[in-house]
Amino acid sequence: MLQPLTAKELEYIADSMSNEDLLLKQNAVLASSSSNPALRQTAQQFIAVHQQHYQTLLQALHQHAGIAPTQPQN
Amino acid sequence: MNQHQSILPDEDLASVVLSDLKRVVREYATAATESTCPEVRKLFTSLLNSTLQLQGQLFTVMQQNQMYNTSSPALRQEIDKQGKQYDQTLQKTNQFVQQRLSIPQQQPVYYTGQPPAGQLGQVPFQQQPVPNHHSPVQYS
Repeated sequence: MLQPLTAKELEYIADSMSNEDLLLKQNAVLASSSSNPALRQTAQQFIAVHQQHYQTLLQALHQHAGIAPTQPQN
Repeated sequence: MNQHQSILPDEDLASVVLSDLKRVVREYATAATESTCPEVRKLFTSLLNSTLQLQGQLFTVMQQNQMYNTSSPALRQEIDKQGKQYDQTLQKTNQFVQQRLSIPQQQPVYYTGQPPAGQLGQVPFQQQPVPNHHSPVQYS
């Protein structure tokens, strides 16, 4: 059952999206600039995974937005 | 499109990505342990596993392409030293636990000081499965 996000959980989700975004960009650079085919292929595959991670985190935010209180609790 | 214009040498760029994957693995582990909502914990746990897999995969590619120097092998005597020391720790802990509870004891598995005949030179933790009901080891 879904519970409202704690402030800490929100921070971790936000930081995680920031991390995934950074990894995605780094892999884009690696995929386009590396002279090593194995590295390029790995980086290309990783881009898709990080995009998926990012989407999953964003979805979690959306799911919890609906049940979040609009006033500070106690 | 692929001009291969290096911003950094290949191995440096790959190292940066590897380091960040390691950092993100730790952050997902921390996030999972500090989650309150079971759904959020599950989310972070699954992202942790997925990221751990990426880190392992990149490490393997780097190693196969000679971009990663693993540290030198541990010496046999150093392994023996740790094995003996932790067998002793285990025995002391067994005594400690036994004084308070009566539960089945773990047996020292690593080092007996005297390898059984015919097994000289064999590495103990390759003898699988580890027998867990042989008699306790006595230290002289």
